[in-house]
Amino acid sequence: MADRQLQAGQATCVPSGKGFAERLSATPWLRRAVLSFGLVLAACSPAEQDPSDGTLTIYTSRHYDSDYALYEAFEQATGATVEVVEADGDLLIERVKADATSNPPDVIVTVDVGRLWHADQEGLFQPTDSALLVERLPASLRHPEGHWFGLTQRARVMVYAEDRVDAAELDDYANLADQAFEGHICARSSGSIYNISLLASLIAHWGEERASTWASGVASNLARPPQGGDTDQIRAVAAGECDVALVNHYYFARLLREEPAAVEGLAIAFPSAGAGTHMNTSGAGVGANARNPDLARQFIEFALSDEGQRLFPELTNEFPAVASVTYDNAALASFPDFIRDPLPAEQIGANQELAQRLFDRAGWP
Amino acid sequence: MTPMAQPQGVGTDAPPAGTSAWMRLARTMGRRSDPAIVGTLIALVFAAPIIALLVLAFTGDADYLEHIAATRLAGFATSSAGLAILSGGLAALVGTGGAWLVTQYEFAGRSILSWLLLLPLAVPGYVAAYSWYDLTAPGGHFYTGPDGPVPTISGLWGASAIFGLTLYPYVYLLARNAFEAHGRASWDMARCLGAGPLAALRRVALPLVWPAVAAGSALVAMEALADYGVTDFLGVGTLTVGIVRAWSSFGDPQAAAQLAVMLLFATLLALGIERMARGRRQFAENPGSRRAHARTPINGWRALVAQTACLMPLTLGLIIPAGNLALMAIETQPARPVMPALQGTLFLALASAGLALLIGTVSAYALRAGPRFGRMAVRLLQAGYAVPGAVAAIAILALLVLVQDALGTFGGSSAPLITGGSILALLFAYQSRFAAVAILPCENALLKIRRELDEAARMLGSSPAGVMRRVHLPLAARGLATAALLVGVEVMKELPATMILRPFDLETLAVTAHNYASDERLAQAALPALVLLTICIPATAMLNLLRVR
Repeated sequence: MADRQLQAGQATCVPSGKGFAERLSATPWLRRAVLSFGLVLAACSPAEQDPSDGTLTIYTSRHYDSDYALYEAFEQATGATVEVVEADGDLLIERVKADATSNPPDVIVTVDVGRLWHADQEGLFQPTDSALLVERLPASLRHPEGHWFGLTQRARVMVYAEDRVDAAELDDYANLADQAFEGHICARSSGSIYNISLLASLIAHWGEERASTWASGVASNLARPPQGGDTDQIRAVAAGECDVALVNHYYFARLLREEPAAVEGLAIAFPSAGAGTHMNTSGAGVGANARNPDLARQFIEFALSDEGQRLFPELTNEFPAVASVTYDNAALASFPDFIRDPLPAEQIGANQELAQRLFDRAGWP
Repeated sequence: MTPMAQPQGVGTDAPPAGTSAWMRLARTMGRRSDPAIVGTLIALVFAAPIIALLVLAFTGDADYLEHIAATRLAGFATSSAGLAILSGGLAALVGTGGAWLVTQYEFAGRSILSWLLLLPLAVPGYVAAYSWYDLTAPGGHFYTGPDGPVPTISGLWGASAIFGLTLYPYVYLLARNAFEAHGRASWDMARCLGAGPLAALRRVALPLVWPAVAAGSALVAMEALADYGVTDFLGVGTLTVGIVRAWSSFGDPQAAAQLAVMLLFATLLALGIERMARGRRQFAENPGSRRAHARTPINGWRALVAQTACLMPLTLGLIIPAGNLALMAIETQPARPVMPALQGTLFLALASAGLALLIGTVSAYALRAGPRFGRMAVRLLQAGYAVPGAVAAIAILALLVLVQDALGTFGGSSAPLITGGSILALLFAYQSRFAAVAILPCENALLKIRRELDEAARMLGSSPAGVMRRVHLPLAARGLATAALLVGVEVMKELPATMILRPFDLETLAVTAHNYASDERLAQAALPALVLLTICIPATAMLNLLRVR
């Protein structure tokens, strides 16, 4: 990100020498490495970090171009410096817990709504009071006390071969378990957090027994053992290895934009039966021990502004959390209107463990 | 020997302070500065995360274990065993075969092939898996349909092929050194006494290189067992996949630790069997056999067969997957500069290689001459290689938080010394994870030094440190350098611990490549992956300079 200054109090611990000092100030992690060694050897203690130095520390599971663009825009708009720790899923939660006192995050961002809920259960967030955020987001996309706020949404959809499947057969997730699809479904492994969250939502809607039967039904309909990512499932449909793939919408949107030949003859189906299409929310909250809670709130408000929100659909093909935002993305525009399932986060988060158990019992690898 | 009468059990090491064995050890330390004792202590420190893992495992309940035992445990265990056997077996076959060809026969291109055969080690397994899957899955250049002649690289067989083809250089390196060190004297003798080439190979040559082959294959199997990236992507349900799931889907680090401990014991068992199979044989080398020996010249179709056999693993393990990435990288506009990631990777690799040298040497001493307790500590440290990186990182994180709290209590300062985010934490994690890679070559190098040399030097008035400096180090230098290079390459390729423990502004090539790949943007991942290959290849090639003369 931006240049960072070597703090005067810390510099006393390291040997002097012009080239060395210059290198240190240009390379903060190297500086800390030397400092750490220096600390161990000389047992001198570091200067306390200034809590209000305009640095925003973000811990995030997102590593997308849209987010890098967002940090840059925020730095330019506010003059703040953004420092980012990237870690996937649960690693992020463990890392936040471990760094709670040494490097507390100001903002924590996750990619799965269940993980937002888990992080909240672990007490990693603090309440944020922002009339602006309450006004921008529907109640289903934010925590009632402002612990976290949705940034984007991802739809779990079905991509199918138009010449082999009738769209009417795919208006319900239940259809995937139909005997007619035996040997015709492609999906990722049951360890995929998006499959887990989908089943967790089905447990909430249908109850455990029906959800369990569904998981067994889909598992026995799989055309091949789960392998690869969502994009690979779509390519398998294109190659004729299967007829329907259960995937997140943005992989199909990306292929439509970047590699249209790869998805010729394929179409996307948004289930409309019951509560509609399962949506997974990626969201952010202010860290419990944040040094700069005000700056953190400003960042979340910026991410949910029109300027911030349009980065997500335009650069990552996700749906913006703020429904009124306009953006330029032909692939998303080509999708039909659909019903977004407004199931609250705690229903998904609390059912995730049961969902994994049902997958294990169903024999969905 | 030391006066330590009662070797301690693994589970009882956890509260070290105050136990009488430690007091005695400390007193012994005061009297002698034997490198073996220092080695024991260092091994114990770096084995601490494993002890933390054991504590974590035994503090959890058995809820998840019961669920998984009723559903998928049998499948996990079978896949793990299958993967270890197939990967280790393929690596043993390719590595020993390659080493045999380049040390026993003379054919056109032999010396360059002998050098090139090591290079697939530079390819991280996950990079090879992504690239091969991209080529052979629907939409790939080599895809020939679901029942076509080219199978899609996936599942147990696909993953085993990936591990076998990228990790066989471990076996090759050790086997080649062993073939060269033992020379042809025994082989020629066997042939003179009437044994056919196959019989001589089976009864003379292979038994002599068996320790090397077994040690190399064990490394391959351990790495395959601990892997998550390749197995998850290609759809193999191993125990490690179960471990990561216990944690990611059930939010239960204790359950993950329990499964990890099971994996650990299985690995220790396998290592134990290998040691027992090796028995009491000491493989001190015959000083007279190091003469350059004549290789049998071959030409014509025989040479062609040998050349093809050597080119095969190179093509499949390196040229095809790297070539595919190169094509992708050329066609793709890079999203972010790779320079910071390159710097970070190089720094971590160099620092770790230096540390590994130190730890490998002293641990090897603990094995060679240390007390039984010391040998156990080193074996525990070696088993760390079989702990999945993600689980190891969590154990280390838990341990570091404890240490930090203790320091805060005693020192009155809450300096963020070692918890996540410090380079020290990451370097510590690498050492406890890759110590096995450092210790094996060091151990082999020291084992080859005859004990009579020590005794002679001691009788001539040398101190233990003097023996180490003036006798052992020069003789073992190549083994030690091998250890440093292997760890350097491993660290450059390492993913989970780096992701969890790295400081916020330290980027590495592996992490950058992984982030793009996990976002299913392989084309963007291609450039950092290629740069990673480009620096791993010379490091791997340097291993060639360290061969015995």
